[in-house]
Amino acid sequence: MKKVNRRTFLKYSAAVGATTAIAGVPTLLRAQAPEIKIASIQPVTGVISDIGIGQRRANQMAVDDINARGGIKSMGGAKLRLLLADTEAKEEVARTEAERVIKEGAVALVGPFLSGNAMTIATLCEQRGVPFVMDVAAADEVTKKGFKHTFRVFPTTAKFADAMLFYMDKIMKEKNISKIRGVVTNCGDLFGRVQGATFLKALKDKKFPIEVLGHIEYPLGIQDLSAEISKIKALKPDVLFPVARPGDAKLMIRELYKQRVELQGIISPGSPGWYEPEFLRDMKALGDYVMDNVPWYNPLGKMYKEVNAAFAKKFPGKYIDTNTGYGYLGILVIADALGRAKSTKAEDIVAALKKTYLKQDLMVGLAVAFDERGDNINADTAMIQIIGQSLKVVLPEKAAESKYIHPMPKQLWDRGV
Amino acid sequence: MNLNLILQLALNGFLLGGVYSLIALGLSLIFGVMRVINFAHGEMMVWGMYVAYTILLWTGIDPFFSFLVSAVILFILGYLLQRTIVNRILDFPEAMQVLPLVGMGMVFENSARLIWGPDYISPQSRFALSSHSIGFFTIDSPRFMAFSISIIITFLVLIFLKKTDMGKSIRAAADNRLGACLVGTNVNKVYAVCFGIGTACVGAAGGLLVPIMPLSPYIGAPFTLISFIIVILGGMGSLTGAMIGGFIIGVAESVGPELITNIFHGIGLDLDFPHTMKQVVSFFILIVIMILRPQGLFGGKKG
Repeated sequence: MKKVNRRTFLKYSAAVGATTAIAGVPTLLRAQAPEIKIASIQPVTGVISDIGIGQRRANQMAVDDINARGGIKSMGGAKLRLLLADTEAKEEVARTEAERVIKEGAVALVGPFLSGNAMTIATLCEQRGVPFVMDVAAADEVTKKGFKHTFRVFPTTAKFADAMLFYMDKIMKEKNISKIRGVVTNCGDLFGRVQGATFLKALKDKKFPIEVLGHIEYPLGIQDLSAEISKIKALKPDVLFPVARPGDAKLMIRELYKQRVELQGIISPGSPGWYEPEFLRDMKALGDYVMDNVPWYNPLGKMYKEVNAAFAKKFPGKYIDTNTGYGYLGILVIADALGRAKSTKAEDIVAALKKTYLKQDLMVGLAVAFDERGDNINADTAMIQIIGQSLKVVLPEKAAESKYIHPMPKQLWDRGV
Repeated sequence: MNLNLILQLALNGFLLGGVYSLIALGLSLIFGVMRVINFAHGEMMVWGMYVAYTILLWTGIDPFFSFLVSAVILFILGYLLQRTIVNRILDFPEAMQVLPLVGMGMVFENSARLIWGPDYISPQSRFALSSHSIGFFTIDSPRFMAFSISIIITFLVLIFLKKTDMGKSIRAAADNRLGACLVGTNVNKVYAVCFGIGTACVGAAGGLLVPIMPLSPYIGAPFTLISFIIVILGGMGSLTGAMIGGFIIGVAESVGPELITNIFHGIGLDLDFPHTMKQVVSFFILIVIMILRPQGLFGGKKG
């Protein structure tokens, strides 16, 4: 090894000194407009990384837009800085990642798409006293725990079920259907299970004329649904009510096709899988007539048009949908609270979040406002349907872009694919 | 009990079991010869899938032909991986052998994400939607084709090991590394070829699965696990064991939940065995076999 003598020592220390001096100058400049760190915690790798990446992009774009408009004005134009965290779709990783970003100085967290992950993050944020805004995550359970620091912009599973029955009632009345024999399927993560169970419970409680012939659960990230579809075929339902994820939604359609399962409709009580660009791209005409009860963008909204145009330009082939839309909104909610709180202290942000009334026309539903549990009382869903290989809002009528089609006029294998 | 349904499930499971066999064959071959467990196995399968998908996308050649290219590319990858990494860890304690290969799994997984993106892809291919009905039964054509080709490849690999010089060298090196060295076998090369054949098997299996299941960079890990179960079940290092184990696990996971539900109902329990617990069936079978026959179904003294 080379010996360090006086000359080399002086040379290196001069270099180090110069670097510090150069790096130090921008730090001083930056100090004039303080920076506020918030964190985006999403499942960016792992079984649901496709959606997780979309979420992170939407979070980041919202932060960039806010900064471009002058940051948090009430705090001297403070810029937001988004710390990035990845849950890998695993609960334990969600916790350690949340811990990390809190240590790095995040004053609020936004995320995490998966309800199971949300539960561990919410618990941690409660312990550490850090505000946590769930952009997407529907399972009722998360806000039932009485957390003081957790807020949810997305609708709850109870809201999904209410809306679903409302829309189904309308469809059945208009089409003179007295009874539907259905099968409910869901993936086995927290969201899937709660969403499936809440829908089933709502049907039972309201004595709704949908007879459930079977309820099938399968693991998240499943790669073979042939057994499940064989079972569905044997049950001979009129309508399939699937709560899915992007991979299994495609798998399901292809299996239904191959096993020639005759259905009047595929109507999701509310789940991803059916509206992403990849579903339309890969399934083509097979995707037609699928209905999904989801929180959807407001096609008439000014904010929607702007955000969607920018998003589609930045990420070719993608568009603002349920998740990216709420991902964007989640950041707006935090920024709005910071603006009113004029402080980065947790208790001030929480107090401001409680008083949130954020007008928006990005998503269907009115201004964001939280109830005592932290749920957004104005989050709403729309029934969307794929018609002619494009997504249309079909219910409620006031927002409808097209009339819904039920029953499906053609079975999957009659569509010439 | 709905017998037709059970038989249909058994048929589906049996056909997929053929592909599982091929995946497990690769793992078993590598273990049998080098005593190394390839923990990047499932992730390498996903690479096989993406290679076939890319060929489909660029040239329109069906995965049922382009799986050969997947096999060749995965052979090269496996060969290089053995020469650069695996060969250095052969004499390490077992726990230390695990880490580099788990790490390689992560590298494969995340590089696939960087190259092909995170989205689930179900490419359009000629046979993807084809099926035939015979009475109540539905035979899924892509599954049937994947099954048939897998079985053919498995037999070809077995014949290669029995009849060719290289095959004989591989078996010699597996039997006694030092002995093979002494009689002039280039053991390093033999090991690398063997690792390559193992990963080529899984690459071919990946190609064959493209018309059956959606691709995503992260679907590999469950396949590593499943092939691991199969290999232990059949007997570590036994190629016949890997084949039979594949069928057992394929059928068990497909029929298991429905059959157990029927048994529950039969004894008056109003309980459905959830499909989310499919793997419980495989692990249960594994445990039973481990108790009755600790060396696995076809595991000899030497494994």
